[in-house]
Amino acid sequence: MIAVLGLVAGVVVGLLVRPEVPAVVEPYLPIAVVAALDAVFGGLRAMLDGIFVDKVFVVSFLSNVVVAALIVFLGDKLGVGSQLSTGVVVVLGIRIFSNAAAIRRHVFRA
Amino acid sequence: MSTNDNPPEEPMGSELPPHEEPARPAGPAAAGGGAQPEKPGAPARSGRQRLVEAVWPPRVSRAQLIVALLLFVLGLGLAIQVRSNSDSSALRGARQEDLVRILDELDGRTKRLEDEKQRLEDQRKELESSSNQAEEARRQTVEKERQLGILAGTVAAQGPGIVLKITDPTGQVQSDQLLDTLQELRAAGAEAIQVNGVRVVASSFFSDEGGGIGIDGKKITQPYEFKVIGKPQDLEPALNIPGGVVQTLEKEQATVAVTRPAKIVVDALRAAKQPDYARSSSS
Repeated sequence: MIAVLGLVAGVVVGLLVRPEVPAVVEPYLPIAVVAALDAVFGGLRAMLDGIFVDKVFVVSFLSNVVVAALIVFLGDKLGVGSQLSTGVVVVLGIRIFSNAAAIRRHVFRA
Repeated sequence: MSTNDNPPEEPMGSELPPHEEPARPAGPAAAGGGAQPEKPGAPARSGRQRLVEAVWPPRVSRAQLIVALLLFVLGLGLAIQVRSNSDSSALRGARQEDLVRILDELDGRTKRLEDEKQRLEDQRKELESSSNQAEEARRQTVEKERQLGILAGTVAAQGPGIVLKITDPTGQVQSDQLLDTLQELRAAGAEAIQVNGVRVVASSFFSDEGGGIGIDGKKITQPYEFKVIGKPQDLEPALNIPGGVVQTLEKEQATVAVTRPAKIVVDALRAAKQPDYARSSSS
Protein backbone atom coordinates (compact mmCIF):
# COMPACT_ATOMS: atom_id res chain seq x y z
CA MET A 1 0.00 0.00 0.00
CA ILE A 2 2.79 2.37 0.95
CA ALA A 3 4.53 1.38 -2.28
CA VAL A 4 1.47 2.33 -4.35
CA LEU A 5 1.26 5.60 -2.46
CA GLY A 6 4.91 6.21 -3.27
CA LEU A 7 4.24 5.72 -6.99
CA VAL A 8 1.27 8.06 -6.92
CA ALA A 9 3.23 10.64 -4.94
CA GLY A 10 6.07 10.44 -7.46
CA VAL A 11 3.74 11.05 -10.41
CA VAL A 12 2.02 13.93 -8.65
CA VAL A 13 5.27 15.56 -7.60
CA GLY A 14 6.70 15.14 -11.09
CA LEU A 15 3.65 16.78 -12.66
CA LEU A 16 3.35 19.59 -10.15
CA VAL A 17 6.95 20.54 -9.42
CA ARG A 18 8.11 20.15 -13.00
CA PRO A 19 11.72 19.56 -12.01
CA GLU A 20 14.51 20.37 -14.40
CA VAL A 21 16.45 17.30 -15.45
CA PRO A 22 20.15 17.87 -16.11
CA ALA A 23 20.87 17.77 -19.80
CA VAL A 24 23.42 14.99 -19.33
CA VAL A 25 20.84 12.62 -17.89
CA GLU A 26 18.03 13.53 -20.22
CA PRO A 27 18.62 11.09 -23.09
CA TYR A 28 18.76 8.19 -20.63
CA LEU A 29 15.62 9.00 -18.72
CA PRO A 30 13.11 7.26 -21.01
CA ILE A 31 15.13 4.06 -21.13
CA ALA A 32 15.69 4.18 -17.39
CA VAL A 33 11.95 4.57 -16.83
CA VAL A 34 11.19 1.58 -19.02
CA ALA A 35 13.83 -0.49 -17.22
CA ALA A 36 12.41 0.51 -13.86
CA LEU A 37 8.93 -0.46 -15.08
CA ASP A 38 10.31 -3.86 -15.97
CA ALA A 39 11.76 -4.24 -12.48
CA VAL A 40 8.45 -3.20 -10.92
CA PHE A 41 6.51 -5.75 -12.92
CA GLY A 42 9.06 -8.40 -12.00
CA GLY A 43 8.71 -7.49 -8.35
CA LEU A 44 4.92 -7.62 -8.54
CA ARG A 45 5.08 -11.03 -10.09
CA ALA A 46 7.51 -12.23 -7.41
CA MET A 47 5.17 -10.92 -4.76
CA LEU A 48 2.25 -12.83 -6.23
CA ASP A 49 4.45 -15.90 -6.41
CA GLY A 50 5.23 -15.39 -2.77
CA ILE A 51 8.94 -15.10 -3.34
CA PHE A 52 9.31 -11.34 -3.07
CA VAL A 53 12.45 -10.12 -1.33
CA ASP A 54 12.96 -6.43 -0.97
CA LYS A 55 16.73 -6.67 -1.39
CA VAL A 56 16.37 -8.47 -4.69
CA PHE A 57 13.86 -5.90 -5.83
CA VAL A 58 16.08 -2.98 -4.92
CA VAL A 59 19.12 -4.48 -6.58
CA SER A 60 17.23 -5.46 -9.73
CA PHE A 61 15.58 -2.06 -9.93
CA LEU A 62 18.85 -0.16 -9.62
CA SER A 63 20.84 -2.50 -11.84
CA ASN A 64 18.13 -2.43 -14.49
CA VAL A 65 18.21 1.35 -14.59
CA VAL A 66 21.99 1.58 -14.56
CA VAL A 67 22.52 -1.09 -17.18
CA ALA A 68 19.87 0.35 -19.47
CA ALA A 69 21.41 3.81 -19.19
CA LEU A 70 24.85 2.31 -19.73
CA ILE A 71 23.75 0.54 -22.88
CA VAL A 72 22.28 3.71 -24.32
CA PHE A 73 25.37 5.67 -23.34
CA LEU A 74 27.59 3.08 -25.02
CA GLY A 75 25.35 3.09 -28.07
CA ASP A 76 25.65 6.86 -28.30
CA LYS A 77 29.40 6.62 -28.12
CA LEU A 78 29.41 3.93 -30.80
CA GLY A 79 27.04 5.88 -33.02
CA VAL A 80 24.25 3.30 -32.82
CA GLY A 81 22.42 4.95 -29.93
CA SER A 82 18.96 5.01 -31.45
CA GLN A 83 19.11 1.40 -32.68
CA LEU A 84 20.43 0.16 -29.39
CA SER A 85 17.83 2.00 -27.35
CA THR A 86 15.15 0.55 -29.63
CA GLY A 87 16.59 -2.90 -28.93
CA VAL A 88 16.60 -2.30 -25.19
CA VAL A 89 13.01 -1.11 -25.27
CA VAL A 90 11.98 -4.18 -27.26
CA VAL A 91 13.66 -6.57 -24.84
CA LEU A 92 12.24 -4.83 -21.80
CA GLY A 93 8.84 -4.73 -23.44
CA ILE A 94 8.90 -8.49 -23.98
CA ARG A 95 9.85 -9.04 -20.37
CA ILE A 96 7.12 -6.72 -19.17
CA PHE A 97 4.60 -8.63 -21.23
CA SER A 98 5.67 -12.02 -19.91
CA ASN A 99 5.60 -10.73 -16.33
CA ALA A 100 2.21 -9.19 -16.96
CA ALA A 101 1.00 -12.55 -18.26
CA ALA A 102 2.14 -14.28 -15.05
CA ILE A 103 0.48 -11.60 -12.93
CA ARG A 104 -2.70 -11.98 -14.90
CA ARG A 105 -2.66 -15.74 -14.31
CA HIS A 106 -2.40 -15.11 -10.59
CA VAL A 107 -4.99 -12.40 -10.36
CA PHE A 108 -7.64 -13.71 -12.74
CA ARG A 109 -6.61 -17.37 -12.65
CA ALA A 110 -6.78 -17.36 -16.42
CA MET B 1 20.14 -8.12 -17.72
CA SER B 2 17.25 -10.24 -18.79
CA THR B 3 18.99 -13.43 -17.78
CA ASN B 4 20.18 -11.82 -14.61
CA ASP B 5 16.84 -10.89 -13.24
CA ASN B 6 14.36 -13.69 -13.65
CA PRO B 7 16.57 -16.65 -12.77
CA PRO B 8 17.59 -15.13 -9.44
CA GLU B 9 13.95 -15.08 -8.50
CA GLU B 10 13.62 -18.79 -9.02
CA PRO B 11 16.63 -19.74 -6.91
CA MET B 12 15.63 -17.09 -4.47
CA GLY B 13 12.20 -18.63 -4.37
CA SER B 14 13.66 -21.85 -3.11
CA GLU B 15 15.71 -20.19 -0.47
CA LEU B 16 13.20 -17.49 0.24
CA PRO B 17 10.75 -19.24 2.49
CA PRO B 18 13.37 -19.65 5.19
CA HIS B 19 14.03 -15.95 4.96
CA GLU B 20 10.41 -15.11 4.83
CA GLU B 21 9.39 -17.20 7.77
CA PRO B 22 11.38 -15.09 10.17
CA ALA B 23 10.35 -11.94 8.38
CA ARG B 24 6.65 -12.59 8.65
CA PRO B 25 6.53 -12.91 12.36
CA ALA B 26 8.42 -9.67 12.56
CA GLY B 27 5.77 -7.99 10.43
CA PRO B 28 2.85 -8.83 12.68
CA ALA B 29 4.91 -7.79 15.64
CA ALA B 30 5.45 -4.39 14.11
CA ALA B 31 1.95 -3.88 12.76
CA GLY B 32 0.16 -5.72 15.48
CA GLY B 33 -2.78 -6.55 13.16
CA GLY B 34 -5.27 -9.19 14.14
CA ALA B 35 -5.32 -10.79 10.68
CA GLN B 36 -1.64 -11.57 10.65
CA PRO B 37 -1.49 -14.65 12.85
CA GLU B 38 -3.20 -16.76 10.21
CA LYS B 39 -0.37 -16.13 7.75
CA PRO B 40 2.14 -18.64 9.01
CA GLY B 41 -0.65 -21.07 9.45
CA ALA B 42 -1.76 -20.82 5.81
CA PRO B 43 1.28 -20.86 3.58
CA ALA B 44 -0.55 -22.11 0.47
CA ARG B 45 -2.34 -18.90 -0.36
CA SER B 46 -3.16 -17.86 -3.87
CA GLY B 47 -1.51 -14.89 -5.57
CA ARG B 48 -4.68 -12.95 -5.33
CA GLN B 49 -4.86 -13.28 -1.61
CA ARG B 50 -1.26 -12.23 -1.31
CA LEU B 51 -1.98 -9.15 -3.39
CA VAL B 52 -4.94 -8.21 -1.28
CA GLU B 53 -2.96 -8.71 1.88
CA ALA B 54 -0.10 -6.64 0.58
CA VAL B 55 -2.40 -3.81 -0.41
CA TRP B 56 -4.96 -3.63 2.25
CA PRO B 57 -4.00 -3.34 5.79
CA PRO B 58 -1.17 -0.86 5.16
CA ARG B 59 1.90 -1.89 7.04
CA VAL B 60 4.95 0.23 7.53
CA SER B 61 8.01 -1.90 7.09
CA ARG B 62 11.51 -1.32 5.78
CA ALA B 63 10.73 -3.25 2.62
CA GLN B 64 7.59 -1.25 1.97
CA LEU B 65 9.42 2.00 2.54
CA ILE B 66 12.28 1.09 0.23
CA VAL B 67 9.93 -0.07 -2.48
CA ALA B 68 7.89 3.07 -2.00
CA LEU B 69 11.01 5.16 -2.40
CA LEU B 70 11.97 3.38 -5.63
CA LEU B 71 8.46 3.64 -6.97
CA PHE B 72 8.47 7.30 -6.07
CA VAL B 73 11.59 7.73 -8.19
CA LEU B 74 9.93 5.75 -10.99
CA GLY B 75 6.81 7.88 -10.86
CA LEU B 76 8.89 11.01 -10.85
CA GLY B 77 10.85 9.87 -13.90
CA LEU B 78 7.67 8.81 -15.65
CA ALA B 79 5.97 12.13 -15.03
CA ILE B 80 9.02 14.14 -16.08
CA GLN B 81 9.41 12.12 -19.24
CA VAL B 82 5.75 12.33 -20.17
CA ARG B 83 5.70 16.04 -19.49
CA SER B 84 8.90 16.85 -21.39
CA ASN B 85 7.71 14.69 -24.25
CA SER B 86 4.37 16.40 -24.46
CA ASP B 87 5.22 20.03 -23.91
CA SER B 88 8.47 20.94 -25.56
CA SER B 89 8.14 18.82 -28.67
CA ALA B 90 10.54 16.16 -29.76
CA LEU B 91 13.60 18.37 -29.54
CA ARG B 92 13.93 17.87 -25.81
CA GLY B 93 15.87 14.73 -25.14
CA ALA B 94 16.86 14.34 -28.76
CA ARG B 95 20.36 13.13 -29.33
CA GLN B 96 23.11 15.50 -30.30
CA GLU B 97 23.56 14.23 -33.85
CA ASP B 98 19.82 14.42 -34.40
CA LEU B 99 19.82 18.01 -33.21
CA VAL B 100 22.73 18.85 -35.49
CA ARG B 101 20.92 17.23 -38.40
CA ILE B 102 17.70 19.10 -37.64
CA LEU B 103 19.61 22.35 -37.33
CA ASP B 104 21.33 21.71 -40.65
CA GLU B 105 18.04 20.98 -42.32
CA LEU B 106 16.52 24.14 -40.91
CA ASP B 107 19.50 26.18 -42.05
CA GLY B 108 19.26 24.76 -45.54
CA ARG B 109 15.56 25.36 -45.63
CA THR B 110 15.96 28.93 -44.44
CA LYS B 111 18.57 29.57 -47.07
CA ARG B 112 16.42 28.06 -49.80
CA LEU B 113 13.47 30.16 -48.75
CA GLU B 114 15.61 33.30 -48.54
CA ASP B 115 16.90 32.66 -52.04
CA GLU B 116 13.41 32.13 -53.33
CA LYS B 117 12.23 35.32 -51.64
CA GLN B 118 15.10 37.27 -53.17
CA ARG B 119 14.37 35.83 -56.58
CA LEU B 120 10.69 36.67 -56.35
CA GLU B 121 11.43 40.19 -55.17
CA ASP B 122 13.81 40.76 -58.05
CA GLN B 123 11.18 39.46 -60.41
CA ARG B 124 8.59 41.76 -58.92
CA LYS B 125 10.90 44.75 -59.21
CA GLU B 126 11.66 43.87 -62.79
CA LEU B 127 8.00 43.49 -63.65
CA GLU B 128 7.14 46.77 -62.00
CA SER B 129 9.84 48.70 -63.81
CA SER B 130 9.04 47.07 -67.12
CA SER B 131 5.37 47.82 -66.71
CA ASN B 132 6.27 51.42 -65.91
CA GLN B 133 8.41 51.59 -69.01
CA ALA B 134 5.69 50.03 -71.10
CA GLU B 135 3.19 52.52 -69.75
CA GLU B 136 5.50 55.43 -70.55
CA ALA B 137 6.19 54.12 -74.01
CA ARG B 138 2.49 53.67 -74.63
CA ARG B 139 1.79 57.20 -73.46
CA GLN B 140 4.44 58.63 -75.74
CA THR B 141 3.16 56.58 -78.62
CA VAL B 142 -0.36 57.84 -78.13
CA GLU B 143 0.89 61.41 -77.95
CA LYS B 144 2.95 61.00 -81.10
CA GLU B 145 0.07 59.33 -82.90
CA ARG B 146 -2.12 62.31 -82.10
CA GLN B 147 0.46 64.78 -83.35
CA LEU B 148 1.09 62.83 -86.52
CA GLY B 149 -2.64 62.30 -86.97
CA ILE B 150 -3.16 66.06 -87.08
CA LEU B 151 -0.47 66.40 -89.73
CA ALA B 152 -1.75 63.46 -91.76
CA GLY B 153 -5.36 64.53 -91.40
CA THR B 154 -6.56 61.33 -89.78
CA VAL B 155 -7.82 63.02 -86.61
CA ALA B 156 -9.90 66.12 -86.09
CA ALA B 157 -8.21 69.22 -84.70
CA GLN B 158 -9.38 72.31 -82.94
CA GLY B 159 -7.82 75.53 -81.76
CA PRO B 160 -7.47 79.22 -82.55
CA GLY B 161 -7.20 80.32 -86.16
CA ILE B 162 -8.95 82.13 -88.97
CA VAL B 163 -11.65 81.50 -91.52
CA LEU B 164 -10.97 82.77 -95.01
CA LYS B 165 -13.96 83.03 -97.28
CA ILE B 166 -13.45 83.72 -100.99
CA THR B 167 -16.56 84.58 -102.98
CA ASP B 168 -16.01 84.58 -106.70
CA PRO B 169 -19.20 85.41 -108.58
CA THR B 170 -17.45 85.74 -111.94
CA GLY B 171 -15.57 82.47 -111.77
CA GLN B 172 -12.17 84.09 -112.38
CA VAL B 173 -10.37 82.43 -109.53
CA GLN B 174 -8.20 79.55 -110.71
CA SER B 175 -6.67 76.65 -108.87
CA ASP B 176 -3.23 78.24 -108.89
CA GLN B 177 -4.54 81.19 -106.91
CA LEU B 178 -5.99 78.91 -104.30
CA LEU B 179 -2.67 77.08 -104.22
CA ASP B 180 -0.92 80.39 -103.63
CA THR B 181 -3.32 81.11 -100.80
CA LEU B 182 -2.59 77.73 -99.29
CA GLN B 183 1.18 78.20 -99.56
CA GLU B 184 0.89 81.58 -97.94
CA LEU B 185 -1.08 80.11 -95.04
CA ARG B 186 1.42 77.31 -94.62
CA ALA B 187 4.29 79.77 -94.68
CA ALA B 188 2.53 81.72 -91.94
CA GLY B 189 2.42 78.66 -89.72
CA ALA B 190 -0.95 77.04 -90.42
CA GLU B 191 -1.16 73.64 -88.76
CA ALA B 192 -4.44 72.16 -89.96
CA ILE B 193 -6.42 73.32 -92.94
CA GLN B 194 -9.64 72.27 -94.58
CA VAL B 195 -11.22 73.76 -97.66
CA ASN B 196 -14.96 73.29 -98.15
CA GLY B 197 -14.93 70.08 -96.13
CA VAL B 198 -11.77 68.65 -97.66
CA ARG B 199 -8.79 68.18 -95.37
CA VAL B 200 -5.64 69.56 -96.91
CA VAL B 201 -2.53 67.52 -96.21
CA ALA B 202 1.00 67.20 -97.60
CA SER B 203 -0.09 65.21 -100.62
CA SER B 204 -3.03 67.42 -101.55
CA PHE B 205 -3.19 68.86 -105.04
CA PHE B 206 -5.36 71.42 -106.79
CA SER B 207 -6.74 70.96 -110.27
CA ASP B 208 -9.05 72.86 -112.58
CA GLU B 209 -12.20 70.93 -113.21
CA GLY B 210 -14.77 71.99 -115.75
CA GLY B 211 -16.23 75.22 -114.34
CA GLY B 212 -14.72 74.70 -110.89
CA ILE B 213 -11.76 73.63 -108.85
CA GLY B 214 -10.86 70.22 -107.51
CA ILE B 215 -8.84 69.33 -104.45
CA ASP B 216 -7.43 65.82 -104.49
CA GLY B 217 -9.84 65.04 -107.30
CA LYS B 218 -12.83 66.24 -105.34
CA LYS B 219 -14.73 69.07 -106.91
CA ILE B 220 -15.50 72.08 -104.77
CA THR B 221 -17.60 75.07 -105.64
CA GLN B 222 -17.48 78.63 -104.52
CA PRO B 223 -17.60 80.24 -102.05
CA TYR B 224 -14.29 78.70 -101.07
CA GLU B 225 -14.00 78.58 -97.35
CA PHE B 226 -10.59 77.92 -95.72
CA LYS B 227 -10.69 76.87 -92.09
CA VAL B 228 -7.18 77.31 -90.76
CA ILE B 229 -5.78 76.50 -87.32
CA GLY B 230 -2.69 78.49 -86.44
CA LYS B 231 -1.66 81.74 -84.81
CA PRO B 232 -4.26 84.30 -86.02
CA GLN B 233 -1.88 87.23 -85.43
CA ASP B 234 0.49 85.68 -87.99
CA LEU B 235 -2.02 84.30 -90.44
CA GLU B 236 -4.13 87.37 -91.06
CA PRO B 237 -1.30 89.85 -91.79
CA ALA B 238 0.29 87.26 -94.05
CA LEU B 239 -2.80 87.32 -96.23
CA ASN B 240 -3.18 91.08 -96.15
CA ILE B 241 0.31 92.15 -97.10
CA PRO B 242 0.44 94.52 -100.12
CA GLY B 243 0.60 92.50 -103.31
CA GLY B 244 -0.35 89.42 -101.30
CA VAL B 245 -3.12 86.91 -101.58
CA VAL B 246 -6.03 89.17 -100.75
CA GLN B 247 -5.02 91.92 -103.21
CA THR B 248 -4.40 89.41 -105.98
CA LEU B 249 -7.79 87.83 -105.48
CA GLU B 250 -9.59 91.16 -105.31
CA LYS B 251 -7.98 91.99 -108.61
CA GLU B 252 -9.96 89.07 -110.04
CA GLN B 253 -13.23 90.57 -108.79
CA ALA B 254 -13.43 88.17 -105.91
CA THR B 255 -14.47 89.13 -102.43
CA VAL B 256 -12.26 87.99 -99.60
CA ALA B 257 -13.43 87.96 -96.00
CA VAL B 258 -11.18 86.99 -93.11
CA THR B 259 -12.76 86.34 -89.71
CA ARG B 260 -11.23 85.23 -86.43
CA PRO B 261 -13.60 82.99 -84.48
CA ALA B 262 -12.53 82.05 -80.97
CA LYS B 263 -12.37 78.40 -81.86
CA ILE B 264 -11.87 76.65 -85.18
CA VAL B 265 -12.77 73.02 -85.61
CA VAL B 266 -11.14 71.16 -88.46
CA ASP B 267 -13.14 67.97 -88.56
CA ALA B 268 -12.80 66.80 -92.14
CA LEU B 269 -10.86 63.55 -92.05
CA ARG B 270 -8.72 61.63 -94.46
CA ALA B 271 -8.08 57.90 -94.38
CA ALA B 272 -4.57 56.90 -93.40
CA LYS B 273 -2.91 55.49 -96.48
CA GLN B 274 -0.31 52.79 -96.20
CA PRO B 275 2.54 53.62 -98.57
CA ASP B 276 3.10 50.96 -101.17
CA TYR B 277 6.85 51.29 -101.58
CA ALA B 278 8.26 53.57 -98.93
CA ARG B 279 9.24 51.74 -95.75
CA SER B 280 10.54 53.10 -92.50
CA SER B 281 14.29 52.81 -92.41
CA SER B 282 14.60 53.34 -88.69
CA SER B 283 14.14 49.76 -87.61
